[in-house]
Amino acid sequence: MTKQQNTGVKKNARKIKAHANNKESITSLNALVHGNARTRLSLVISGFGNIMYGQIIKGLLFLGFQFSVLFIFISFGMEYVSKINTLGTETMRSEYNDALDIFVNVPGDNSLKILLYSIFAVAILVVGITLQLASVKSSYATQLDVKRGKQPNSFAADLRSMLDKNLHTTLLTPPFLGVAAFTLLPIIFMILLAFTNFDRDHQPPGNLFTWVGLQNFIDVLNFGGTKGNTFFGVLGWTLVWAVFATFLNYLFGMVVALMINKKDIRLKGLWRTCFVIAIAVPGFVTLLFMRQMLSEMGTVNVILQSWGFEPVNFLRNTMNARLTVIVVNLWIGIPYTMLITSGILMNIPKDLYEASKIDGAGPLRQFRSITLPYMLAVTTPYLITQFIGNLNNFNAIFFLTQGGPPVTDYYNAGKTDLLITWLYRLTVSFGDYNIASVIGIVTFVICASISLITFNILASAKKEETFS
Amino acid sequence: MKTRNIITNTLVYFVLAVLSVIWLLPIAYLVMTSFRGESGAWLDGYVIPKEWTFGNYTKLFTDTTLFNYPRWMLNTVVVAICSCVISTFFVLFTAYSFSRLRFRMRRPLMNVVLVLGMFPGFMSVIAIYHLIKLIGLEQSLIALILIYSGGAALTYYIMKGFFDTIPRELDEAAYLDGYTKWQIFIKITLPLSRPVITYTVLTTFIAPFVDFIIASVIMKDNYNNFTIALGLFRMLERENVFRWYTAFCAGAVLISIPIAALFLIMQKNYVEGITGGSVKG
Amino acid sequence: MKKLLTLILASAMILSVAGCTQNDSGSETNAGSGTGGGNVEVTLRVWASQEDQGLTRELADKFIAANSDKKITIELGVVGEPDAYATYSEDPEAAADVFFFPNDQLRSFVTAGGLYEVTRNKDEIVSRNIESSIEAATFDGKLYGYPMTADNGYFLYYDKSVLSEEDVKSLDRIIEVSEAAGKRVFMNLDDNAWYLASFFLGAGCTLVIGEDGRQICNFNNADGLAAAKAIQAFTSSSAYINGDDSVLKGGIGGTISAGVSGTWNAQDISDVLGENYAATKLPTFTMDGRQVQMGSFGGYKLVGINSLITDADKLVTAMDFADFLTNEESQVERFKQRAMGPSNINAAADSAVQENIALAALAMQAPFATSQNDINNNTFWGPAGAFGTAMVNGDTTDLQTLLDNMVNQIQE
Repeated sequence: MTKQQNTGVKKNARKIKAHANNKESITSLNALVHGNARTRLSLVISGFGNIMYGQIIKGLLFLGFQFSVLFIFISFGMEYVSKINTLGTETMRSEYNDALDIFVNVPGDNSLKILLYSIFAVAILVVGITLQLASVKSSYATQLDVKRGKQPNSFAADLRSMLDKNLHTTLLTPPFLGVAAFTLLPIIFMILLAFTNFDRDHQPPGNLFTWVGLQNFIDVLNFGGTKGNTFFGVLGWTLVWAVFATFLNYLFGMVVALMINKKDIRLKGLWRTCFVIAIAVPGFVTLLFMRQMLSEMGTVNVILQSWGFEPVNFLRNTMNARLTVIVVNLWIGIPYTMLITSGILMNIPKDLYEASKIDGAGPLRQFRSITLPYMLAVTTPYLITQFIGNLNNFNAIFFLTQGGPPVTDYYNAGKTDLLITWLYRLTVSFGDYNIASVIGIVTFVICASISLITFNILASAKKEETFS
Repeated sequence: MKTRNIITNTLVYFVLAVLSVIWLLPIAYLVMTSFRGESGAWLDGYVIPKEWTFGNYTKLFTDTTLFNYPRWMLNTVVVAICSCVISTFFVLFTAYSFSRLRFRMRRPLMNVVLVLGMFPGFMSVIAIYHLIKLIGLEQSLIALILIYSGGAALTYYIMKGFFDTIPRELDEAAYLDGYTKWQIFIKITLPLSRPVITYTVLTTFIAPFVDFIIASVIMKDNYNNFTIALGLFRMLERENVFRWYTAFCAGAVLISIPIAALFLIMQKNYVEGITGGSVKG
Repeated sequence: MKKLLTLILASAMILSVAGCTQNDSGSETNAGSGTGGGNVEVTLRVWASQEDQGLTRELADKFIAANSDKKITIELGVVGEPDAYATYSEDPEAAADVFFFPNDQLRSFVTAGGLYEVTRNKDEIVSRNIESSIEAATFDGKLYGYPMTADNGYFLYYDKSVLSEEDVKSLDRIIEVSEAAGKRVFMNLDDNAWYLASFFLGAGCTLVIGEDGRQICNFNNADGLAAAKAIQAFTSSSAYINGDDSVLKGGIGGTISAGVSGTWNAQDISDVLGENYAATKLPTFTMDGRQVQMGSFGGYKLVGINSLITDADKLVTAMDFADFLTNEESQVERFKQRAMGPSNINAAADSAVQENIALAALAMQAPFATSQNDINNNTFWGPAGAFGTAMVNGDTTDLQTLLDNMVNQIQE
């Protein structure tokens, strides 16, 4: 069954490829090369072809969009795009107001706005060009239909196809607009900031910032300097943290789940509830509360002292603080892993265990040779997501240690700082947006490559297409 | 054999009991602190409060001129409901398209979305703030809803995994019956996806309750539009902590109750949602 | 092709943006044309800390009543003085028109171009406030802030039932007596360079701003090393207790016999200590075998005007309001309601102010206090705080190395 489908899919793919070389296929290139005058004119006047073919509503919609895009770009975007090469030249100045006998400020350029709004204007232009090409292609498609002697699609038919043949467009457009606006544009903005000198000495509204090329990358990635030293130190700990936080959580969560699910353990619901309650308290509350409990004079130390022990410096000593964040993170993370793994554990075929029991395998061996491989196979995507999540686990560090203890040989960072918390401090407390952007880009590259590689290996291993 | 079993079971019970204590103790202490009469974060060398009061809870609802807990709760619930509805649809749409529909650019798009999801979220929050400001929505709840749900598509992976496991034959049969792709989505796939929808609803509903960074950058000094996380965090700021610490604990207990209830009711679906798909695969 | 939905959504977005940008440009064009008098309508946004909301509202209403020829609306936002610059820099346009800030943020504000120079009624403002407060509000010879309080410093609170007036003169004696009584001495040195610096400043080390705006710091010279040794001796004594304000407030009268803090805790501490409430200047500490008076930072709270105001009427009203908030009457009111020490000469001379225990202690410390204007906020606090953490942790790294690291980073 699956094999047949597979070949079917392959055949399909070949068909599509063959189609691409055909001038019947509807691509922008074909439309411009083989299109008639109506189609080609659509490149200048959006919707022209559609209107001429009688698809009035569609054509007018295209035209309307062309106008709005041009209007926005010219009325709003041009002003900013024209200053993009310098990011502004005029600083704030003051003018004398005779009537009130006072100097009043006249605002100058704002580099941040120039950069951001230029990106926005260019994005709108890109949308405009895409729509323009869509209009050309639409006209070409109609042209071909007419040539074949078919009636041009009515507007109603177009709408119907949105729910069937072109369902993917309908479904993907709203989420992708969201992603474009709230993820893609901001990312482009932050990446560009890495090439500017927008730091603590170039703060608005009185100062402008400008392009500095690769200087920030040189500063941050330079081993010898304080910033470089801090960067590699923090990066090292970030990786160590992510590995421990992810795998310890996973392992212990699974052990807890195994215990709860053990055949003749009673009150399973009760045990599970104990852990689920811990999930209910929002993470930041738990972390802030733990921070108080673990502080030098906190509850835990009070108890330790009353039992005659020395107080422990949980949060301000490098080694202790690192252990503490990992352990507290276990407290928060284990219930989730427990919930998820216990669901899977119940699905492991029982006969596997019985067979191995006959072979004389003890529980430990069973765990190693049956449970763990099975779990890993099923939960790898979850594990990767967790790993990436932990690389960027802002809350766990920020609310518990705030990155501390700070040290004198780091650039505004502490020994439990992750790249992400360091970045946060640099922007919010110091305004070093350029350095922060470099850190953000590096974090991004690390996370993206890890996930791209692993997910694609996984996807091919799982032969996703067999399901389809 | 039997005695060994009894020994291991006893051991397991013992470990479970110890673990339960470890997990419940901080929460018990949180609840205890929320009923504490002495103010401040710090007790002078003792653990059990000497005075007990219900006042921390009433304070949250009566002393609202600056710390408007009921208002913040309402804000958060509104934002959570709206953003969880929008997000769930976005994730459904994206996951379904990637799993069930075949179109040009599918693989590249999937990878692009995956990679975009890796960018540290609040890195971009400053840019988002200015974009939001551009359309005149800064310091508003609508802005929060847009931001929380805007990037939802990036988390399509788990739901796609689930959809991948729903047999394709079902779709094909429906297709032969003359269903459009939309009808297949609505009438065939959705009813089979309750667990993963529950999972998505649950996670997106909780997000506004625990996010601090985005809310703080968007809301700045607009106290009336604070969410609960932001408000609770403010109670612990240096100038407020002495008078508001116990109220903070009370506020935390109050928001935990509904979340706990949700989780306890939906835990079965939650687990199946995240794992169900892969298990069958 | 049939990407209609794409089109519909995109157009909706585009049109809404177009609409908003139009509104934006509309509101920006009516700037600047101040007419004075007549039917002037002004809305001012003002930031004040949580505890100051009530008083500020009261004063704002008084100001509105006194200027009934204009139609003034004053909106309050909650941003405390310590966060003023950080919040301001996130988005100056969204910041308040009038805000309060401690004078150590003056340099950041002025270099970022965030403040209006004080021009209206300047002579009177200068003459009615104590000289040091005007100095603290002046940068490069220009006045940028309206002095509001003169109490942003710290001193020693102590429990009279444990320590005598004689005991609190030296740190050694305080520790000795406290240890004997099983009590502890509070000073927040961990990640908090504000208090930490008192040892270095007392030892004669200095903080200067160089010509390029960089911090020049000599905390790593011989005196600095001696000060660091004194800090180490203090933090390693069994009586030392570190923590934030809540530790001090929770412990004073109980396990804590004395603690270093400022006027903002005066009310809570005097409530707890009652009869035994006392405060004085910081003690002396032992350095190279001799007794040295601890220094401190002395600060002022100022009122500033957002430089982004472009409407002349609004600017005049904002300046008048800042003036009003800091005049004698308002400062007296601020002392009565919030026990904040006035910078106004007449208000400070009031007998009630003179008798206030905390303010008296602050006044005793004043001769040994250093102005915070000479601190580069961007580079000083982080490294110095990190050094404090090392001291509290009992870090065994060579002191001179720690000091050198700290100074290198401060001067970076």
